[in-house]
Amino acid sequence: MEHTRPSLRTSAAPRSRSRSHTPSPSARHFPRLLHSSMSYSSLPSSAGVAPTVPTAPALPPHLSVAVAHDPSLPSSSSSSSVSGIELGENGSSSSGGMIMNTEVDVGTVDVEPDFKPPEGDAKKALREQLRRSLSKREAASDPSQRYQPKREPTEIDELESPSFDAFPVRQYFVLTNAGKPVFMSRRSPSDASTNDDRTNIMGIMQAIVSVFADDGDKIRCINAGRTRITFLLRSPLYYVCVSSWREPESVTRTHLEYLHLQILSVITASQLAKIFERRTNFDLRRLLGGTETFLHSFIEQLEFDLGISNASLCALKMDPVVRANIAEILVPPKELKDVLYVALVSSGLVVTLVRPKKHSIHPADLHILLNTLSSPSLASTPISWLPICLPKFDPNKFLHAYMSHLEEEVPNGSDGENTDGIAVRLAIMIPDKDGFERVRQWAGSVAEALSSSGLLESIASACRAHAYLPMDIGIPGLRHFVYKSRSLVQITMPAWAKPYDELDSRRRLVTLYQTLHDVLHARSGQPQGPLKLQYIRTDKESVMGWVTHPFELYLAMSPGLPKSAVVGAANAIARWIKREEGKLFLRDAPVF
Amino acid sequence: MARGVRGPVSLRLRVRLLVLVIAPCPQPVGAASLLPTTISAMSKQLSFKLVLLGESAVGKSSLVLRFVKDQFDDYRESTIGAAFLTQIVTLDDGSTIKFEIWDTAGQERYKSLAPMYYRNANCAVVVYDITQSASLDKARTWIRELQRQADPSIIIALCGNKSDLEARRQVTKEEAQKYAEEEGLLWTETSAKSGEGVTEIFNTIARKLPTSPPPGARGATTSASRAAPGANGAPRGVDLNKQPNAAGGGDACNC
Ligand SMILES: Nc1nc2c(ncn2[C@@H]2O[C@H](COP(=O)(O)OP(=O)(O)OP(=O)(O)O)[C@@H](O)[C@H]2O)c(=O)[nH]1
Ligand SMILES: [Mg+2]
Repeated sequence: MEHTRPSLRTSAAPRSRSRSHTPSPSARHFPRLLHSSMSYSSLPSSAGVAPTVPTAPALPPHLSVAVAHDPSLPSSSSSSSVSGIELGENGSSSSGGMIMNTEVDVGTVDVEPDFKPPEGDAKKALREQLRRSLSKREAASDPSQRYQPKREPTEIDELESPSFDAFPVRQYFVLTNAGKPVFMSRRSPSDASTNDDRTNIMGIMQAIVSVFADDGDKIRCINAGRTRITFLLRSPLYYVCVSSWREPESVTRTHLEYLHLQILSVITASQLAKIFERRTNFDLRRLLGGTETFLHSFIEQLEFDLGISNASLCALKMDPVVRANIAEILVPPKELKDVLYVALVSSGLVVTLVRPKKHSIHPADLHILLNTLSSPSLASTPISWLPICLPKFDPNKFLHAYMSHLEEEVPNGSDGENTDGIAVRLAIMIPDKDGFERVRQWAGSVAEALSSSGLLESIASACRAHAYLPMDIGIPGLRHFVYKSRSLVQITMPAWAKPYDELDSRRRLVTLYQTLHDVLHARSGQPQGPLKLQYIRTDKESVMGWVTHPFELYLAMSPGLPKSAVVGAANAIARWIKREEGKLFLRDAPVF
Repeated sequence: MARGVRGPVSLRLRVRLLVLVIAPCPQPVGAASLLPTTISAMSKQLSFKLVLLGESAVGKSSLVLRFVKDQFDDYRESTIGAAFLTQIVTLDDGSTIKFEIWDTAGQERYKSLAPMYYRNANCAVVVYDITQSASLDKARTWIRELQRQADPSIIIALCGNKSDLEARRQVTKEEAQKYAEEEGLLWTETSAKSGEGVTEIFNTIARKLPTSPPPGARGATTSASRAAPGANGAPRGVDLNKQPNAAGGGDACNC
């Protein structure tokens, strides 16, 4: 592996769009994605159904609507769908690695062509109304234009970012393309809307989507003041997020894409297609019973999860020799060569992953697996056997997962729960639905081996020692950072320390990181293309993002420090990581 | 290593530790027969597969939790896929059998997986909720499916759970009992919350199981020496509630 650590000063200077890394998928798609934009010229108050949004009092007079024109609609939607989630990063060439370094990943889980849903009179009226009141305009109100980088005399671009100062609970909706509700996120306590209101809103959302679909367009988002409504169309399901955080659109779009993947993990894409082929009006809630908890917990996690927003996983920090010993035990015997992955997870952190030579694990699949593993239902059962679809592996097939708890047993312990609350979870994925007995035999011996060799105890102590603080690095003024190894597709970051122990500050920082990420990767189709370095100063902190070939680094420093101090800190972090990387990251896990 | 010993990890580890303690000084078989997880009878232990079926939220997982751990949760998450647990029951003669329990998910989307769990089952507990008459209809559907598709010798118990919620009862005892008699099922009412009837139903099933390893049961070990209570004939309708019901868990094993 190459370990060039470019000096910040030299790497920062040129800013041409086709430098050492290829443009991100969204950048590549840019000309197609935002070639047209619309705005409501006005919203007549006489409209039969007024499109109101739960968190916004009413739509302000100036709305901009971003759409993606898809000339192939309605016949096909797979190849040219709207900027999808960028789940892996480009720039690294390691194919066949442990974790997949995904290239363009857009629309791979699209199910079937859009079809026109039946509509009622109210929707027809809205459609007419929208048609009359919409005027197509050229892309002047592209939301990403708000983040215009401003040239400064220094080499580092400084971004005039919107101020992230209010974080009302984001609302998420899942509906069918016939407008039937599938899922709604929890309301904020101050939200007075009733469930009926929210069901009506979903009807309106469906109508809005279909107005654009009729014209061969796919609606991407509506900007209404500081509120943005993001749409992700994955027929037969539509996903909608209403957020007033002012985060880049790519953030909420990623969230919606993950909700879609989580739904596919319990109902495969082909099942969905089949169900809705037969009955366009099907009420999917019946089939998703019990899945709401997944979705709610996922939504909570999305707020702060930097692993997901960096399309990476987070490994348990531990001695590489111990990790290797554990991994050896997890290599399946000959009779289990059909096993797809074996994962050992503790406190949501990956201890190790063992896989067949031919498969890399897609980070999105891993996040789906981790979220499933953390569900309270599985936490209360020692051994579970369940069907799960890992949509990036195959959106149409169920795998079967053996999931068990390995508990550290203290010799004189009573038969109570785990003594120190550190649960180690073993997950074994296999395509054979009758494979349980075979897997159980082996999983039992794995548990035995891990426990008798003391490795289970080592995992527990690694968990206790996992967290480190920003001050541990010894860089004055450093408050937080996220470092992503691009070849390993993993991140490491310190625990949230002051002032980010406070949730709104943490939300602000995460949104700043995401804004940097969006700009650096040109995820919103920024005309300048991908960048290497970007800086944002707020009165609360200075944050900087830096993309190099081997890594990506985002850091937050006390406000008022000179830029040179931030640059110095970035270099110091990179040096520190280099020293610690054997422990911080999972590498060289065995394949079979 | 002791690969033959299987079960939930925690249980198994505990067993292993017990072996270390007990091995130098073996206890007479049966001495610890009141303990549900005793090591002493390992040499003549039979394993039987038991599957729980029934609509979501009737209390299948709660019944199993009561049976295996003697605990109850007021808030339990719906099961995903199926949970696998084991529990050892000691019979009147001191011999033990091991239940390998599949606690299946009642959610509709898992319906098609059910045959995987009942295919090799020796016994099935079909659960309904006495406060939801629709759940008895669902139980009837399961029983018909078992009668058609499962092993013909399968022992089926119908179990009306949540008997502590008498005030909200929708299914009468008479109705359920009559149905069970017609179909030749074991029947009882239970409360996973109070514990009432829970160990009894598992013990009654245990007593009805054949003494020689059934062909379908994998992992069954060694020959059983306990007195055979009868051939593995068609199960008769038995009203467990008519049995002398010693209050509390002291009589848990009916020993
Ligand atoms: N009052 C009362 N509540 C019970 C009893 N048994 C279970 N419950 C409650 O009923 C709810 C559902 O119980 P579960 O055991 O999860 O039901 P289940 O049949 O396993 O449901 P699925 O896993 O979805 O198939 C839980 O909130 C339990 O606390 C009981 O005997 N009495
Ligand atoms: Mg359950």
